[in-house]
Amino acid sequence: MEIIHRFFAIENKRWVFGSVIFAIILLAPVIILIINFFSGTTDTLLYLLDNLLFDYTLNTLYLILITSITALFLGIIPAWIISNYTFLGRNFFDIVLYLPLAIPSYIMGFTYIDILSYTGPIQSFFRERSPFFAEIINRDYLQVEILGILLGLALYPYIYTASRISFSLIGSNYINISRNLGLSKIQTFFKVILPLSRPAIFSGLFLVIMEVLNEYGAVKYFGVNTFTIGIFRSWNSFGDVNGAIQLACILLLVVLCFFAIDRFSMSKSKFYYQKNTQLNKVKGLGGSRALMVILICSIPFLFGFLIPFSFILNNTIESFAITNFDKLFRLTNNTIYVSSLSSIIIIFIALFFLFVERISNSKINSYVSSLISLGYALPGAIIGLGVILLFSNSSLLGTFYVLIFAYLIRFLAVAKSPIKSSIDKHPITIDDTGRNLGLNPLNLLRRLHLPINKFALISAFVVTFIDVMKELPITLILSPFNFDTLATQTYQFAIEEMIPLSAIYSLVIITLGSLMLLILRSFIDKQINVS
Amino acid sequence: MRKFLLLFTFIISACSTNQESIREVNLYSQRHYAVDELQYKNFTEKTGIKVNVVKANADQLIERLKNEGDNSPADLFVTVDAGKLYNAREAGVLQKIESQNINKNILTDLRDPDEFWAPITYRSRVIVYSKERVKESDLSTYEDLADPKWKNRILVRSSSNAYNQALMSSLVANLGVENTEDWSSAVVSNFARDPKGSDRDQVKAIAAGQGDIAIVNSYYIGLLLSSEKEEELNAGNSVSVFFPNQGVGERGSHINISAIGLTKSSPNKENAIKLIEYLTSQEAQEVYVNNSYEYPANSLVEPSDIVKSWGDFKIDKLNLNALGEFRPEALKIFDRTGWK
Repeated sequence: MEIIHRFFAIENKRWVFGSVIFAIILLAPVIILIINFFSGTTDTLLYLLDNLLFDYTLNTLYLILITSITALFLGIIPAWIISNYTFLGRNFFDIVLYLPLAIPSYIMGFTYIDILSYTGPIQSFFRERSPFFAEIINRDYLQVEILGILLGLALYPYIYTASRISFSLIGSNYINISRNLGLSKIQTFFKVILPLSRPAIFSGLFLVIMEVLNEYGAVKYFGVNTFTIGIFRSWNSFGDVNGAIQLACILLLVVLCFFAIDRFSMSKSKFYYQKNTQLNKVKGLGGSRALMVILICSIPFLFGFLIPFSFILNNTIESFAITNFDKLFRLTNNTIYVSSLSSIIIIFIALFFLFVERISNSKINSYVSSLISLGYALPGAIIGLGVILLFSNSSLLGTFYVLIFAYLIRFLAVAKSPIKSSIDKHPITIDDTGRNLGLNPLNLLRRLHLPINKFALISAFVVTFIDVMKELPITLILSPFNFDTLATQTYQFAIEEMIPLSAIYSLVIITLGSLMLLILRSFIDKQINVS
Repeated sequence: MRKFLLLFTFIISACSTNQESIREVNLYSQRHYAVDELQYKNFTEKTGIKVNVVKANADQLIERLKNEGDNSPADLFVTVDAGKLYNAREAGVLQKIESQNINKNILTDLRDPDEFWAPITYRSRVIVYSKERVKESDLSTYEDLADPKWKNRILVRSSSNAYNQALMSSLVANLGVENTEDWSSAVVSNFARDPKGSDRDQVKAIAAGQGDIAIVNSYYIGLLLSSEKEEELNAGNSVSVFFPNQGVGERGSHINISAIGLTKSSPNKENAIKLIEYLTSQEAQEVYVNNSYEYPANSLVEPSDIVKSWGDFKIDKLNLNALGEFRPEALKIFDRTGWK
């Protein structure tokens, strides 16, 4: 074995070298931002530090807390129920619980406030029928707590997906042993299942937190001053781009620390699933207990998808007569085109980095592979800014290439995670076998890893597609001429307070996203079954 | 890195076809109303000049213009806030327009004395009040909003909003930093709730009884009053519009403009000026007032009926560049006085 490894070491070096160069290109905008961090004045930064950042940080933490708690409850409990029990509608819920991911969080915010507002359907309904009750619900719903819950509703599917896969993969042995040792069902859940699923749940939670940190449209609307608002206050209000960069770099540093702490704590305790244990058998439920679980699983679906979707659908129907279908068609076309093209590029680049990390034993590639995910920790507009600075004075700005390059930096991490978990599942010995059969790295990638990770690649494509489709700040700032997407159009109507006009564009985003998620679901099933 | 970039540029320029022969004009625009698309379409039909648009936030477009430098394809920079045009000019990305036709079209009070930009429409940041709970005679000026009689009654959106920043800048320009800061403190203590939501939400909050008066842009009332939804119409009808500072010797209501600047590197300057001339012409200005609730910059055109129903008003004749010039001070006042 040793000889084979050495033999390939030389060839691997070219791959390693290539991947490092490639990573530097990808990181160039981030590097430029970091250089800017140290140059230029710090007036605005110091001013914000003195006056606002303490409050902004507290608000951010509070919002993250509420969102996380909501998302954890809405994600883990249904995932546990569906992984362990059969009941009427189980398959249905297993499909629809993913769907809120198709609704961009700012649309969730705008839509719910419209529903709950004084002129919305609920308050209007009660004003005519029960003035007393109408008075009770006549409140100001633009509150940080409400925003946290709404973001939780939009983002819980990240946790649901992660825990659903994890709960299904945990073999019945663990549960049997725990029950034999006298632990109750609830104790088993908290002492065995949750700790075993911690890495998965944590990876989902990490995505939720990153999304909250990145949120701009909804937090601004709710008047919740988060750290991101601080970044944009520096840029849009004070006109100080450098201050914005400095704040974004601080945010990046905080996220990195958070990430490092997580890695460190994980490295001390290792988790391995016993692959050869039987999958936990699902038990049938009937009667009142079935009713209860149906109720529990309905909550996230109802509030996270059905209610906002129906409201948007209703708005679409009402504004149907004034819809410009030529434009709708053009924007849908643009959206599908740019989302699929960039997603394909992104998943292959993600696969490339993960593959090089796998075939080389050097530490460098594990760092490289982590570093290229940095983009996910920066607000989209700041990545856009980094790209603008990088291509300063070139005529490349405003072309598709640059737009897709920016998406790449932003979403590589999103595509990496499903591919990585799939690649890691296959023992390294299959690579050795492939090489013994005379495959060079390129063929190893093409003929072995491409086919055996195909489901993961499709999953990665779907999640990246949805993220690019919902993407807003990068698309706005780097957009070529006459290039609108469904997301930019929705947002432009929404901020101009023409919610009904934005409805049809939201509806198409949500429908496209839902269709993609249905595809994803069937591939997640295959992944669960294959392993 | 640089070699790679050069190679990359080379490949791309080899792929893209030469499009210089096409007659076009390129816009970086913060405006994204349906009426704009209509205007550009009409312009193209009339002149054969194609209008290309990138729509994004004004500050981000300024950053893009700055970094594109002489290579920028943009001819015109369109904003909904004079302050951003001031910033663009300060950033050195604009040039003088110098067209007598445009100057003839627009109201003198709205003009940039230095001709770096031309207005197309304007709007006032007015006070709306509950018809039920407020008497018109209780209202007078922006300054009066500091009076304790308004305690727990004022609604307004956050200080992140550019329209609020422009209003505060106009107060700094007119009253000085100290007076404005005192004013802001007092107004904040009169707030009915923390600043949040959109302008339209403030009006809804008056209808819901959460406050009695709100500071909003005039055209949002027009939007509410033309809503298809009965409840929104009711909310719009529950308030009246009041133009502050109209008394004898008072300076007039604060206004802000949608306006166009000509970029320094404009590759299609002739077409660009043609477009501004068209947009300020009587013909195009009629299109604006028929499709939005803004005031026309052209003195020969009258606003829409809903807007006219609020009556004539005296505008604050402050040089609109002050809305950008005094903005840093205005922001600090927001922060020091706790206007979230």
